[in-house]
Amino acid sequence: METPDVAWLAIAPDLALALAAAVVLLVEVQWKPATRALGWITAGGLFVATGLAVVQWFIAADAVAARSFSELSAFSGMILMDGYAIFGRFALLAVTALGVASGWQFFKDLGRRGAEGLALVLLATTGFSIMVSSNNLIMLFLGLEVGSIALYVLAGLTREDKKADEAAIKYFLMGSFASAIFVYGVALIYAGTRQLTILGIGDFLGSFIVGSPGVILVGIGLVVVGLGFKVSAAPFHTWAPDVYQGAPAGIVGYLAGVAKVAGFAALARILLTAVDDFDWSFLPVVAALAVLSMLLGSVMALVQSDVRRMLAYSGVAHAGFILTGVAGFSVDGILFYLAVYSVQLVGAFAVVAAVSGSSGSTSDIGLYRGLSRRSPVLAGSLTVLLLGMAGLPLTSGFVAKFGVFADAWFNGYQWLVVVAVVASVIAFAFYLRIIVIMYMEDDEAAPVAVSTTVRWVLGIAVLATLLWGILPASLLNIVADALPL
Amino acid sequence: MLTALILLPVVAAIVVAVIPSKRGEIHLPLGIALSMLPLALAGYLFWVFEPLPGYQQTVDAVWYEPWGISWSLGIDGISLPMVVLTALLVPITLGASTSITKRTKEFVVFVLLLEAGMLGAFLALDLFLFFVFFEAILIPMYFIIGIWGGERRIYASIKFFIYTALGSALMLAAIIGLAFSYSSEFGSTSFALADLMEVTLDAGTERWFFAAFALAFAIKVPLFPLHTWLPDAHVEAPTAGSVLLAAVLLKLGTYGLLRFNLALFPEASVDAVPIMATVAVVGIIYGAVVAIVQPDLKKLVAYSSVSHLGFIVLGTFALTSGGLQGAVIQNVNHGLTTGALFLLVGMLYDRRHTKAIADFGGLQKVMPLYAGFFLFMTFASIGLPGLNGFVGEFLVLVGSYASLPVFAIIASFGVVLAAIYLLWAYERVFTGVPDKEENLALQDLSTREIGLLAPLAILVVVIGLFPSILLDKIGPSTEAVLDHIESTTDYTTPDPGRLDDVFTAGGDS
Repeated sequence: METPDVAWLAIAPDLALALAAAVVLLVEVQWKPATRALGWITAGGLFVATGLAVVQWFIAADAVAARSFSELSAFSGMILMDGYAIFGRFALLAVTALGVASGWQFFKDLGRRGAEGLALVLLATTGFSIMVSSNNLIMLFLGLEVGSIALYVLAGLTREDKKADEAAIKYFLMGSFASAIFVYGVALIYAGTRQLTILGIGDFLGSFIVGSPGVILVGIGLVVVGLGFKVSAAPFHTWAPDVYQGAPAGIVGYLAGVAKVAGFAALARILLTAVDDFDWSFLPVVAALAVLSMLLGSVMALVQSDVRRMLAYSGVAHAGFILTGVAGFSVDGILFYLAVYSVQLVGAFAVVAAVSGSSGSTSDIGLYRGLSRRSPVLAGSLTVLLLGMAGLPLTSGFVAKFGVFADAWFNGYQWLVVVAVVASVIAFAFYLRIIVIMYMEDDEAAPVAVSTTVRWVLGIAVLATLLWGILPASLLNIVADALPL
Repeated sequence: MLTALILLPVVAAIVVAVIPSKRGEIHLPLGIALSMLPLALAGYLFWVFEPLPGYQQTVDAVWYEPWGISWSLGIDGISLPMVVLTALLVPITLGASTSITKRTKEFVVFVLLLEAGMLGAFLALDLFLFFVFFEAILIPMYFIIGIWGGERRIYASIKFFIYTALGSALMLAAIIGLAFSYSSEFGSTSFALADLMEVTLDAGTERWFFAAFALAFAIKVPLFPLHTWLPDAHVEAPTAGSVLLAAVLLKLGTYGLLRFNLALFPEASVDAVPIMATVAVVGIIYGAVVAIVQPDLKKLVAYSSVSHLGFIVLGTFALTSGGLQGAVIQNVNHGLTTGALFLLVGMLYDRRHTKAIADFGGLQKVMPLYAGFFLFMTFASIGLPGLNGFVGEFLVLVGSYASLPVFAIIASFGVVLAAIYLLWAYERVFTGVPDKEENLALQDLSTREIGLLAPLAILVVVIGLFPSILLDKIGPSTEAVLDHIESTTDYTTPDPGRLDDVFTAGGDS
């Protein structure tokens, strides 16, 4: 009997994560250790997965340069180990590590349920990691579902909290609806092309005259809608503010970060490698979504009085900026943006969690009054991260925006760039509002304690924001190698 | 060398930042001492500067190759005076900030970071780098106004930020567009000023790009009708903020018009002369008229800035040697005199906690030294011969008379109006009998305050009497700007407009 060609390395990081999740659960059942021990197992799993991803990166370096499909594909072309997949994995692992560390208090407070939380985090990351590396739309869907379902549960992990329950239900209903739309889109694309692999679809559309373009067109549209939900691009963003606000503060950063990274990585891969040769370019639709997201996100964020809702709408605006990069065919721009933004997002939510308490469900902007006096570390970090999200120069956010804007302009979307820069200025206003409250208004409320893990998370996030802003080549050189096959 | 000039204030800011806040009294003196280093370096640069066209002391290091961005710095006759002015004013403004008692450390850090940003913006020769500095400046200034400002500081700081950010955002789009045009023409990407000057643009695109750049700079200057953020920002900002805002930040606008608009879009610049000159002249008259009726001394000086900066823009778009030289030297002059006036207003406010003209009267008797300095700076600002303001305004008016006689004539009324609003304000504040009880006990200038004002006063006289010290260094660079415009468009400078005319005529005979 012929043994199938299993390139274990291609999924080694994912296996490590899934294994760690299993170990966490088994150890919990058997020994009921302190949450700290489970945390170390989680950290170990993440560490091993990252190490394996680094190994992949260096082993694949030559093949990546040669763009050799046979060397970079595994499981009969289901999984790819191209630079794009590995970089996406790096971003996911970084968000996971920072997210777990910043929400550590939350996992500790969960008591015996902490193990479930950690295992779910590891499983979600496994799913999304498969999603960013899969070449097959069914495989991609499986990864998406593994990740999404884990996230729905995470959102409602504090069962006692009504608001979290509501958020989880909302997230679940909207999310599964989006998944259904996505899979229907996949079915229609298959109907039109008889292909399920992304590269196969690309070859098909590039070399044949399509008999039934309408079916494919609707299929692509549905895939965009489905993933648009996941990345909270307008008008499919309605779940985001409620979920960001309702879910436990300690986990929101992770939840938002991974969904965005994985969703956009998959969306960009499909739009830019599978259907880019299609007779009907999808970029105008993407541009329209980008405009809607940027303007709606920025304007709605202006009128929020809850910091988490504000960050949710700012996330919608960021989805718009990233879509500008998709319209600009800017793979490196998108990856850079995702890495930069997800780190800032997790860092910002680490501050939110510290201010509202790990499972607290209110983040009213009033809580931040005079924070610069009460906790200079939190206020200072949040300021840098917000300025980074706003895209001020010398932060990574500026480089990220510049990258996608420049590519969009070069790809003929000049008008989109003009809209985008105006939207960024609108966005300044609400980021500044938080900074104003923290620095320019005084409040005698108690100081906010900051745990060591949160300090580390903030230190890393702030350092990354400044380093990639001042010396962007440090990340851009890596991103430049991370192109999809 | 230029890299060091930008990094010195950053290092100074870090040094100040790491000293714990408990030692409250040390931050300000330390900041002043450390800000002497960039000043010394700037002075040295002025000393070694050769009066030649082109950039000197250039630094060029690749930042990120594929995007064609680089850490590219250089100094020429247009940026040199601004660099020296910036380095000079920072220690002075810090010295004038002893009334800032809350969060002194952060204040010093922000002022030093602001200095780094301003120096960087004047030195940058790469448009990406310039934009980085141009925009980064907003952050420290935003905090300076927002934390240490007056009652409506938050409104003023956000208005300042959003207004200027909107202008620069469109400029960013134009910069990207320009780089795109470069890459379609030459096949590689570059943001270097020298490279982008080579791009051939079709007339429509060039006008759009010119408009985007001009909008960004016009908001910064600010030109009528985009000036509404300025009085708010000035009035609410603490003294140091007002001084740096008026003396340096606004100059980024006039500097940008001269350095980037004229160089990158010569054709559109020539076409835009009537528009820009009209806006400038309207600003001159409008600012002056509004200044006359201001009841608040600080607001009066703020509106006088709107008027004075109109002269600089008029000189720039006169496109003659006199106009350009006048614009550059007036950049410096306005920085010195308006900076000094803001310092003086701040000193009065420290004593009396009001800036309303009506609250004063007869101060001459109570504070003779203060009144003397105020009158001196007033004369300099009006343009009394022998003081610096005269040189700049004279050059601008002569230069613009050659190319835009009607505008020059209207603008000259601005000088008259300046005499009215400043002298009338002086009369109301200083002359007469001190009739208000609170004013009788006001202290005259302290030694520290005299020490802050004296360097500015000396420079006012020196530039007034020996303008050639500056003009010799400015001249070659402004001539180069005109040469560039004449060689890329069919514009010819009207007859007595070029300095060279005089020299060549002499050589031929």
